[in-house]
Amino acid sequence: MDVLIQIIASGLTLGAMYAVATIGLSLVYGSLNMLNMAHGALLTLGGYICYATITHLGFHPALALIAAALVCAAAGLVIYAFATLPLLRAENFETNIFIATIGIGSIIENLMLKSFGPYPIPQPLGISGQVVIGNVHIPVQNILILVTALTLMAAVAFLLQKTRTGRAIRATSMNREAAQLMGVRVGQVYAQVLALSGALAAVSGIMISSIATLTPVMGGDPMLKAFIVCVVAGLGNVYGAVIAAIVLGLLEAATQYVFGVRWSFATLLLLVILVLIWRPYGLFGRGQVVRL
Amino acid sequence: MTGIRRDILIGLACLLVAVLVPILLGGRYIVTQATVFFIWAIVVVQWNLVLGIGGIFSLAQMALFATGAYATAMLGFYLKVPMLIAIPLGGLVTVAASMIIGLACLRLRGPYVALLTLAIAQVMFVLIVNDTACFTNSSGCMPLFGGVRGIGQFGDLGLRALFPTKWYVAHYYVALSLLAIAVVFSITVIRGPLGLAFKALRDSPGYALSRGISRFKYQLWIFAVSAFFTGIAGGFYAVHFRVIGPTVFSFPLLLFLIAMIVVGGMGSIWGPIIGAALLMLADEGMKEFSDYRNIGLGLLVTLFVILWPRGLAGWFERLSLLRISDSQKNT
Amino acid sequence: MAEPALALKAVRSGYADRIVLQSVDLTVGKGELTAIIGPNGHGKSTLLKTISGLLRVREGEIALAGERIDGLRPDEIVERGVIHVPQGDLLFPAMSINENLMMGAYRTREAAAIAERLEKVFALLPKLKDRRNQLAGTLSGGERRMCGIGRGLMAGGDLLMLDEPSLGLAPIVIDQIYEVILDLRRAGSTILVVEENAERIMDAADRIHLLDNGRFAWAGKGPELMASPQIIEAYLGA
Repeated sequence: MDVLIQIIASGLTLGAMYAVATIGLSLVYGSLNMLNMAHGALLTLGGYICYATITHLGFHPALALIAAALVCAAAGLVIYAFATLPLLRAENFETNIFIATIGIGSIIENLMLKSFGPYPIPQPLGISGQVVIGNVHIPVQNILILVTALTLMAAVAFLLQKTRTGRAIRATSMNREAAQLMGVRVGQVYAQVLALSGALAAVSGIMISSIATLTPVMGGDPMLKAFIVCVVAGLGNVYGAVIAAIVLGLLEAATQYVFGVRWSFATLLLLVILVLIWRPYGLFGRGQVVRL
Repeated sequence: MTGIRRDILIGLACLLVAVLVPILLGGRYIVTQATVFFIWAIVVVQWNLVLGIGGIFSLAQMALFATGAYATAMLGFYLKVPMLIAIPLGGLVTVAASMIIGLACLRLRGPYVALLTLAIAQVMFVLIVNDTACFTNSSGCMPLFGGVRGIGQFGDLGLRALFPTKWYVAHYYVALSLLAIAVVFSITVIRGPLGLAFKALRDSPGYALSRGISRFKYQLWIFAVSAFFTGIAGGFYAVHFRVIGPTVFSFPLLLFLIAMIVVGGMGSIWGPIIGAALLMLADEGMKEFSDYRNIGLGLLVTLFVILWPRGLAGWFERLSLLRISDSQKNT
Repeated sequence: MAEPALALKAVRSGYADRIVLQSVDLTVGKGELTAIIGPNGHGKSTLLKTISGLLRVREGEIALAGERIDGLRPDEIVERGVIHVPQGDLLFPAMSINENLMMGAYRTREAAAIAERLEKVFALLPKLKDRRNQLAGTLSGGERRMCGIGRGLMAGGDLLMLDEPSLGLAPIVIDQIYEVILDLRRAGSTILVVEENAERIMDAADRIHLLDNGRFAWAGKGPELMASPQIIEAYLGA
């Protein structure tokens, strides 16, 4: 019983963090067919900005969170203006933007390396203390992460479902041409989505670094997992991705307990491949009909 | 001049220059760096077949390279297989690995393939690095795949014993021959039936499919055959450096190789080799700024994709087109 | 002829690798129902996409009520009152009918205006009202077409362009759709309809243009078309 509580508690925290990282990726892929390989670097950037503004500028933690989100949103806009926009005008957008964002990610990560060094730094934004359920001690930090993640997801869901901007984002991801015919300025939607995705990446980077540590390469692993989540859910399916993220978080916690940390990623990947053989477009994805 | 005749001429000219390099500029440093260049050139030439011709967005290239290298090293270390046999066997193991990866991934659409292959490479890395259980204790504790430190002492080609002072020149010529074979192979694929099938699939998918050209089947083919030379290059890399460790999975190395293809021009025959040569030279010239190496690589990749997506090969093509139209004007 | 709502002068346009419209002149009279007919693949849809800004005008001019609109972005053209109901509807499948209609009114920000238009659309297409919370992806062909037209009307524009409104529908549903189009015409809307199915549009249209190989080959009224069997035989294969 205690083991189960432990697994659920850490699995939910993991899942919530993955979900926040995944929403951004999924939105970006959904509306512009862009796999943003710089997403991991944006996670890292957010974590470091939060650290730097608290330790060097003496910001209040909440203010530091907002500052990090703003900086990463701006980075998203820069990626839009200098990579996405010119590449959208050329052919082979999907391949080219993938490679370009690999390059951009490397630039950001190595700038972090230059500025903060290669050694792990603890994230100052954190709360100590524990909550005891049965015989299990759950850090308050994990609960805070879960609450923050749920709040953010609710906010994003509200934005997408209930606002004019959100409706335009969903319309663009369902059918770009039709959205244009409704008078949606798709360029603006793309910029908004990349900025939003950047801000979400920042928050998720701060969360992840607050239970692990800050390093220049910390973004790679969560990004890969977030991508796997997207793939399982079907690329571009935001709500499916949230569900898949939480399930994957729970599964990861469970496999870590059963097989040990070493095998958890391999087990997850094997599961993902099996899912994809069964459903090539992901669990909630729909195949595109290619007209010849 | 037909395409294939031009390719043969360019290839022979390059080969001639390369054969003369150790004789004319016999410095050990230049020769060993050129050997490394040949290894990376083999890898990117094969990767280019997968990316540029097969249209498979695979990021598993270094994982396949590592498969060849580890298979060769382990055959030598555990079974004492001589390297002359172990390297081709390593190539075959790599083909088998690529078939498994291909069967799992290639029915999926482009971006899914990219992410899954990247994840597979990452899993291999994690499994090797996190393995601390001793598999053998013969010369100290060693995990099955050598763990973080890698595998060494698995023998070599015997060239070090044969030419005690000039063995690196011998390795140079081995690597050059491997590259030459790999390039001939890639030209045969691009200009041959497999290349034609892919051209048909690109230009008119409907017609190609109705003529029984199955994309999946051909993609699996090109993925598997290009894995053979990739694995051989890996095996030779292990033999050349006498050790193979998990560093071959590192992301900067993957980025370095992507940069070669992007700068040279994806899908062209000579582009990736030109790209590999240029990046090796640039890397050499920028040694003092090595702190900025990966930032520079990132910038280079990003700029080329955005400004010249067809790389240097695209420049040459445009140049020769200009010249043709000029000469037509003159006549 | 009434004052032109839309005028095209020597318009050339097409896709990246293929010019489809060679040189097209067209005027659409205000308050009229103008039809464009012609064989498949000869540029009818391309024409509408060019007017709505989805495709770039390579040469020539497009003027809406005397004001140049060529070279503007699609959203700017929608802003000026051009509504394009695309072929195959292109509804947003994971949105309800209601949300699809709201997307139609995307450029309108006044809640009162939106509510008023919604009422008008529901009055014209009562079926939509009954199913307003149903997902668009689950509708039947006829319902989708109505939702597409309704979504277009929600923009409150001055020029309604319909791309093949009868495509793929059962005859009885086509009758219903044309009933709606004629209702709109009687209410004074300016409508430009593209149809491959010339018989349907012949009686309804004020003026018919025949598009062949990227150029207009003939123009006139329905009865004139009926009276020229050589045109029908050459272009419409009837």
